[in-house]
This record gives sequence, C-alpha cells and structure tokens, in this order.
Amino acid sequence: MTDREQYAPGPARGAEIHKDGEKWTLVLVRELRHSPEKVWQALTDPAHLREWAPFDADGSLGTVGTTVKLTTVAAPTPHVTETTVTRANAPKLLEYNWGDRDIRWELEPLSGGTRLTLWHNIDRRFISMGAAGWHICFDVLDRLLHGTPLGRMVAGDAIKFGEWQRLNVEYARQFGIEAPKWPPKATQS
Amino acid sequence: MKIKVTSVYVDDQDKALRFYTEVLGFAKKTDFSQGPYRWLTVASPEDPDGTELQLALNNNPAAKVYQQAIFEQRQPAAMFFTDDVKGDYERIKARGAEFTMPPTDVTASTIAVLNDTCGNLIQLTQLARW
Repeated sequence: MTDREQYAPGPARGAEIHKDGEKWTLVLVRELRHSPEKVWQALTDPAHLREWAPFDADGSLGTVGTTVKLTTVAAPTPHVTETTVTRANAPKLLEYNWGDRDIRWELEPLSGGTRLTLWHNIDRRFISMGAAGWHICFDVLDRLLHGTPLGRMVAGDAIKFGEWQRLNVEYARQFGIEAPKWPPKATQS
Repeated sequence: MKIKVTSVYVDDQDKALRFYTEVLGFAKKTDFSQGPYRWLTVASPEDPDGTELQLALNNNPAAKVYQQAIFEQRQPAAMFFTDDVKGDYERIKARGAEFTMPPTDVTASTIAVLNDTCGNLIQLTQLARW
C-alpha cells in the first residue's frame, strides 16, 4: 500500500468559530515541524500550492498588490476567481481573498517549527465542510514539508471522501451546528 | 450514460433556491461549497432521484452575456414538463411569479412561460394527448 492509501486523517481538532452576527470565521491552528520561511514558501509559491492547496494559483501570492487567478481544484465545473494580495509580510502574515471571502494566514515561530493559523470567513452553512477540507489539506501540507508527500487531496477526492464526510460531521458537532446533509443519500459505510 | 443534471445560470443562488423551491415547488437536492464554488441543485418531488437542475452562479462574463442575450430574445433557458400546465400556472402565479406567456396552445402541446427573477425565462410544457 502507498502512503496515500494508508493515510487517514485524525479526529477533528484545532478549529474554532468566531461569530460576528451572521458573519462566521473559521479559525484553524496547526503546528508544523518546519520553519516559517519554509511554510511561507508553501503558502505563496504556485509550484508548492499545487501540491497541497484547494486551489491553483497562476502567480506568487507573496507580494502585496499582485493580482492572481485562483482555480478551485476539483470543483464539479471549472471555477476561476481573481484574488488580490492585500498583506504579505514574509514570513509572518499573508492576506488575500478567495472569491468573496477573506483568507488570512499567520505564521508564528515555535522551537523547531511554526504555528500556522488560518482565518477563513466561510458562509456558516458550509463552515464544517471547509474545516474538514482544510484539515486534510493541512495533513498533506505537513507531509509535503516533511519530504514525504502524499499528493494533493481536496474535498471531493474519491479516495478519502468518506473521511472528509466524517470530519465534516465531527466539526459540525464541535461547532454546534447541524451537519450538512450532503450527499443527500448516505453513501458512507 | 444518462442525462442526470442540466443547468441554468442564476444571478443569486440563494434567491434562486427560494424561487425554485417556494414558488415553483421543487426540492433542494444537493448543496455543497468548495471555496468560492457552490454546487446547488434542485429536483422535482414527483421524481426525487430524477434529473436535477443545477442553479449555477453566472459569475463569469461569458455566462452573463449568454444569459442576457437569450433572455432578450425571449428564449427559455430551461423547459419543464407537466401534466397540468393550467393548474401549475394558477398555482405558481398565486405565489407571485410573473408569467410572460399564459398557457397557450401550440403544436402538439400547451406551453406557458414565466420569469424566474434570476435572469431566465422558464417554459412549462404539457404535451397534447390524442
């Protein structure tokens, strides 16, 4: 069996919801065993993003003011949005939009690593789906930085689809919201 | 191979979902999001596992131009079949929809056309029986 086949995401953890009225923000924290410089490169360089992120970028996200096209990976029909990098303070803080939502990354040095925090103000109806998707992306990112890449897995990835659904339900429970009923017919075992 | 999904472009997916469920009477089937992408479909309660209609956001210039052009030509963006076009016309009109064509006899069918408020004309068709 390959690493990719053996991989199983752990339980839902490290996520919080910040609520400002109807505007909800997903906050995900992950500690990585790699330097902020290395993590910064993975967050901004298109060649690195292609290995783990839920979108492809047609340029670097590392320079403030740049406009970059983001292609959502594995969307059921092709989907491209334009983003503008609004903050890029390497290797500490990165902000840009994805569609009409905001993405903010903060990198804090730890001894021998980085505490990575993501803020993503996903629509509340889809916030547990987003947490589940990012959870798997972060696992793939960690393995990529470690030099043992699993290959990118996004939400709809057929191999890990059941695991993504499980995380979706677990995060929904942690956030105190009803798990989205999707797909409508239960396909998980 | 089966025809399982067809699409209409809409200018607002939440507004479209309300119209297609509360006014037309379809039921939400699938609704998921991946980043800025939202896959949203409805199905008929008479055929819940039948063909789905995707309510696709017209957030790209080509989709907007296409949608507007066929609307201005009075071309329906989608067609639904019914066994009772007059009954559906009365029911849907009572829920506030605007019909641009009341039930009208045409070749081998009776049709009616309504505005879905999301940028489209929708045709209802009842085949004549003979």
